Amino acid sequence: MSVINKAKEKSNYKARIKRSLRRFYAQRWLQLFAILGFVYILIFNYLPMLGIQIAFKSYKPSMGFKGMFTAPLARNYGFYHFISFLKDPNFSIVMRNTVGLSLMKLFFSFPVPILFALALNEMRHIKIKRIVQTVSYLPHFISWVIVYGILFSFLNTSNGVINSLLQSLGKEKMEFLTGKEYYYTIAVISDIWKEMGWWSIIFLAAISGIDQTQYEAAKVDGASRFRCIWSITLPNIKSTIMIVLILAIGSLIRGGMGGSNFDQSYLLGNSLNYERSVTLPYYVYEMGLAQQRFSYATAIGLFQSVISLLLVLISNYVSDKLTGSSLF
Amino acid sequence: MLATYKNKRIKRSTEDYIIDFVVAIIVCFVFFVTVYPFWYCIVLSFNEGTDALRGGIYFWPRKITLENYNAVIGIDYIPTAFMVSVARTLLGTVLCVVFTGLFAFAISHKKLMGRKIYITAMIIIMYFSGGLIPQYMLYKTMGLMNSFWVYIIPNLFSAFNAVIMMNAFREIPDSLEEAAIIDGANDMRVFFQIVFPISMPTMATMALYSGVWHWNTWTDSAFFISNKSLKTLSNVMINLINQSESAAQTMVGNINQSQVTYTAMTLRPAAMIICVIPIAIVYPFLQKHFVKGVMLGSIK
Repeated sequence: MSVINKAKEKSNYKARIKRSLRRFYAQRWLQLFAILGFVYILIFNYLPMLGIQIAFKSYKPSMGFKGMFTAPLARNYGFYHFISFLKDPNFSIVMRNTVGLSLMKLFFSFPVPILFALALNEMRHIKIKRIVQTVSYLPHFISWVIVYGILFSFLNTSNGVINSLLQSLGKEKMEFLTGKEYYYTIAVISDIWKEMGWWSIIFLAAISGIDQTQYEAAKVDGASRFRCIWSITLPNIKSTIMIVLILAIGSLIRGGMGGSNFDQSYLLGNSLNYERSVTLPYYVYEMGLAQQRFSYATAIGLFQSVISLLLVLISNYVSDKLTGSSLF
Repeated sequence: MLATYKNKRIKRSTEDYIIDFVVAIIVCFVFFVTVYPFWYCIVLSFNEGTDALRGGIYFWPRKITLENYNAVIGIDYIPTAFMVSVARTLLGTVLCVVFTGLFAFAISHKKLMGRKIYITAMIIIMYFSGGLIPQYMLYKTMGLMNSFWVYIIPNLFSAFNAVIMMNAFREIPDSLEEAAIIDGANDMRVFFQIVFPISMPTMATMALYSGVWHWNTWTDSAFFISNKSLKTLSNVMINLINQSESAAQTMVGNINQSQVTYTAMTLRPAAMIICVIPIAIVYPFLQKHFVKGVMLGSIK
């Protein structure tokens, strides 16, 4: 009896494998495409993730790729590099700049696209509206290097536009690019300048999706234009605002929606404003590629990734509970 | 009733005027602030260098000349960097769209075995990455350091583009594909002869995004390439922008030093304009489709 059952099971099993293989063969081309991409992702995305372990090891660049897996564990149960980062004299500077700049960018560059979208929506002249909108997102497609070039042309002390104007007004020149007291302002304003128009598109799209009868009904009831914006437009784009806010908070460490902290630190930073310009993503680069302290830089990078991931999850959870809109 | 309603619409309240006024100011301000920096760079790039140093040029060139552009092209590493940028943009874009497209095409089929694994693997890498150093070590091991291929191979696949393409491919009716398969076409042909042409708007948008990204990015060239003849334009631009007045005079070869009239102040914007021109050319095509892109990007 049991022998027969076993034989049946075996033949069932065989038949199932056969069926699977036949199914697989039928979709062999699709499988080829999927597996090619899958293997690529494994090599270029997941293999480096395995490499994160050097954050807990005493790894030296001379050990090569294999060494990432065989290097000895670092002191303090592997947490040596994390502890040294906390003790790093630059730790407080890096954290203050990263958190400060990111929060300032969030606080200033997040509402601006919403206000701009509202303003554009109130514009009666359709042609002017279209032109201004088209122009406003051009900076998004320009490299940060070019934005830096523009900032340089406007802010340098010898012949920059702003300093020439100051001089002709009889005022003293200002060291915008080397004075650390200006760095935050320049970073935040250039970030707004570059990304404002781009992010306003998504809000404008949300506004254009609002049912027009709501406005007509409000008008009949005698609502003013401001009242319409406040009570119809804003509540209707609330979920869009929340989703963009989650995205912005999730990418806070990288510098908000534009993700500009690294580019700005690298391009606008120099030895004179280092105290204000160095941010976490830049510090990873500086410790790793510039100073070749690979384990240390990976530890800082992991610290950064974990904070980012937590921020996404927390903001997603809070938004889901408060407003019902979430990413996943 | 109707009459009063109509009256209200024609007669504009003070509030209406205030809002129109504020809106006009905001819109004009944004327009000026966005356009003027570009305009200023154009003006400077067409002005004679030594003349520009005297100052006072804001809206129109004073002594028009093409010498700045001549000089920029004369800097030995600029034409090379330009060609490297063009090559990486064209090759990188085509390969990325095809490679990512094939993967997206495969996972857009519900019947695909292991589909969940493929999709999960793709979603995770949108939120988490190995970081700079492990990537650096990987490229080094693969021999991508100081090789042109470091621009292409690590950027073959984009998870973000794959999600957008997958959604586009799903909208294509299954019957089209089935008909082609019955006629004896394999999935490779289905992709290139049916799916790709039908999803042309999406594919074009993806190509433009990818192209703009390839043209603008500078970090890979700065991190992984030390050979000067393999640097990209956006990377060498950093050096050029940081160049001092005195260094600018000696940068350009084959020009009689006593007749030099360009300065760093005018070379810089000329080089920047050269760098922006390709973007400006594709910009009209870009903006035709990208509202869709940014919407999808937010849903990812």
